Amino acid sequence: MKKLRIKFYENRKIFFMLSLAVILIGVLFNVIFGTQLDIQFTGGAVIKYSYQGDLNPDEFAAFVSQQTGEGAVSAQINQNVQNAGGVSDLNNVTVSFGGMKALDLEKQKSLMSAIESKYPSMSFELISSSSVNPSMGRTFFIKCLVAVAIAAVLLIIYIAIRFRKIGGASAGLMAIVALIHDVAIVYFVFIIFRIPLNDSFIAVVLTILGYSVNDTIVIYDRIRENNRLLKAKESLPSILNLSLNQVFSRSVYTSITTFVAITTVYVVGLLYNLPSITTFALPMMVGVVVGCYSSICIASPLFVMWQEKKAKNA
Amino acid sequence: MRRVKKPVFFIVAAIILALAITATLGVKGQNGDNDVIYLKGVEDIRWGIDIQGGVEASFTPATDEEVTNAQIDAAEAIVESRLIGNNITDYELYTDYGAKRIIVRFPWQSGESDYNPEEAIEEISATALLTFREGNEHESESVDANGAVVYRTPAGTTAETVILQGNDIESAEPQLTQDDEGNLEYVILLHMTSEAADKFAEATARLVGKTISIWMDDLMISAPTVRQAISNGEAMITSGQAGSAGAFTAASASELANKINAGALPFALKTESFSTVSPTLGLSSLSAMALAGIIAFILIAIFMILKFRLPGAVAVLCLLGQTALSLAAVSGYFRFINSFTLTLPGIAGIILSIGMGVDCHIITASRIKEELSLGKTIDSALQSGFKNSISAIIDGNITVVIVAIILMLVFGPTNILSAIFGASTTGAIYSFGYTLLVGIVGNFLMGVIASRLMLKSLSGFKGLRKKWLFGGERK
Repeated sequence: MKKLRIKFYENRKIFFMLSLAVILIGVLFNVIFGTQLDIQFTGGAVIKYSYQGDLNPDEFAAFVSQQTGEGAVSAQINQNVQNAGGVSDLNNVTVSFGGMKALDLEKQKSLMSAIESKYPSMSFELISSSSVNPSMGRTFFIKCLVAVAIAAVLLIIYIAIRFRKIGGASAGLMAIVALIHDVAIVYFVFIIFRIPLNDSFIAVVLTILGYSVNDTIVIYDRIRENNRLLKAKESLPSILNLSLNQVFSRSVYTSITTFVAITTVYVVGLLYNLPSITTFALPMMVGVVVGCYSSICIASPLFVMWQEKKAKNA
Repeated sequence: MRRVKKPVFFIVAAIILALAITATLGVKGQNGDNDVIYLKGVEDIRWGIDIQGGVEASFTPATDEEVTNAQIDAAEAIVESRLIGNNITDYELYTDYGAKRIIVRFPWQSGESDYNPEEAIEEISATALLTFREGNEHESESVDANGAVVYRTPAGTTAETVILQGNDIESAEPQLTQDDEGNLEYVILLHMTSEAADKFAEATARLVGKTISIWMDDLMISAPTVRQAISNGEAMITSGQAGSAGAFTAASASELANKINAGALPFALKTESFSTVSPTLGLSSLSAMALAGIIAFILIAIFMILKFRLPGAVAVLCLLGQTALSLAAVSGYFRFINSFTLTLPGIAGIILSIGMGVDCHIITASRIKEELSLGKTIDSALQSGFKNSISAIIDGNITVVIVAIILMLVFGPTNILSAIFGASTTGAIYSFGYTLLVGIVGNFLMGVIASRLMLKSLSGFKGLRKKWLFGGERK
């Protein structure tokens, strides 16, 4: 059986730079584009229609704006959307209303009939619509934040209990640094791909947290095991390298299968134009990779650096 | 190593296959003209509104006046009776007293061709029309999902003669009374306005021994018999001793009182937020996700078999079992687990848990491979592989379990958080939390118990006792 011999510890600066670079790019995008919150959180309205033929989005947006009396209407078109019957001659147009307020039911109804009379031959149909009252959105947003906070507290408690045996507070702390790293990168995926933050974001962040923590734990466990066996003859960095190389294939294989599963979902979602799926799957894909990467290349070298420094100071 | 008998593999594999087939197709029979479902399959899964199409809306009183909780209950009763009146059975309905809000969510009924969500929302929230009518003639009757008979549309004299209307009633309240013999009885007390009292006195005098029916919109909600003329504007609807057949229960008495109050509400309901999904969009999403699931499964199966050979093949069987368990836990296949509404993120959760579920097989198979490369025999490699991997497997699952439970808490309908934030409809993510949780539990059952039994049993076959098959070097 061939053995991996990757020098994780010696290359740690490259890993740290890589992560920092990605985070910097994310920050840059965040500054330029800002953070978009979904109407789930802010309140607002979006309507999606299917139609046949050609449509000018700007013209359509102007028409909708005039009909509803709402300003800041924008329209986005997706062409040749696949549907269940395998027919792909339908086009979709998504109309977003600015102003962060709910659209009247009455207005949506009269808008549909106005569209039908203006574009009689294009067989417009309502696909989906969503109209959220801002105060409900805010409550939901706060609820989500509370949930993330509860999850964070529980995970930290779990880490504290679990890491007592492995390396104490420093190990737990480094595991948390890796988690923050993962959440930051998942967040930046939403920013860079201009996906408004919504309930999927919460789901992805929490899932990746859980996923990444267990990866880190498995690695730290190995370091502890090897440390016990080899402490007398090997330095901590080389024990780290050995441990990481031992768990590397398992970590990578699991990430590969999880990545393959979620990527399939993403690709299919893309083909069928299902934004509710793609906006969920894409950050999850990145999160799976980052979760694995951060456990191996961030949390573990950081932990050893800390231990080395402590040893030097002592 | 404790030997596991050779047939065990076939027994476990057969159980998994049987589970997979029945959980997918279901087991159905015929009893006369009725289809009987013995075991529920994929067909019987309740789909979320993002798949089946449907409506979600929240209503709030369109008034600046103070609104009481009793009025919110009454308003909820309106919405509920509209839902029933429209043959919508699998709705979710919540009230949030703090925010004075009524939230409803229902899937589009299958077989409904006329898709008009705006009208549906208007219809269920429209101001209720409560009428007291002479007699109880009706045009049609049907049986609803709970087995109760629903009478619709007044006919004949009942259609012509309206005795009282909603605004004639000041209030209706359920009460528990005791008759002369000490028997308890639930009743409903009606207080009428003074003009209504005269009309009611006239009608009850005329109709002693006959029926006055109470209607909400098009549905008959009660049909009491007049015992005597009532002239003081205080009527009582009785139903006999509590516990006797057909008598009010605490719940049914307050339900009827709520409905009558609903007809007397001084405000209309305003639609605050709503979202709609057309059934066609949902259907294509479903077939897309099913396709994604199948492709993901095949890719992972190929990877596992190429990489881990025999343990890989066993892992694939276990993943099949895990997927079947997930489907079963959603469809209500097991009698002790209620069926669960499955949404698109829920399906993504099943697929994701297949990807993650591979982890425990990889941990075990890698360990076995390592032990073999140290020169151990197959038996001892299996044994230490199993022993050394169990703690890592538990570790690998527990954090995801924590997360899955939190997701269910946040996005579920009623939970510890809704005590603070008020009720909400179940978000699509609720289903994701559930399938993730179920996937992990199924993964544990399959990956730890089933896979070990099968591997040990297989290692007893002479033809399979080759290290290469278990991940060792080719000789």
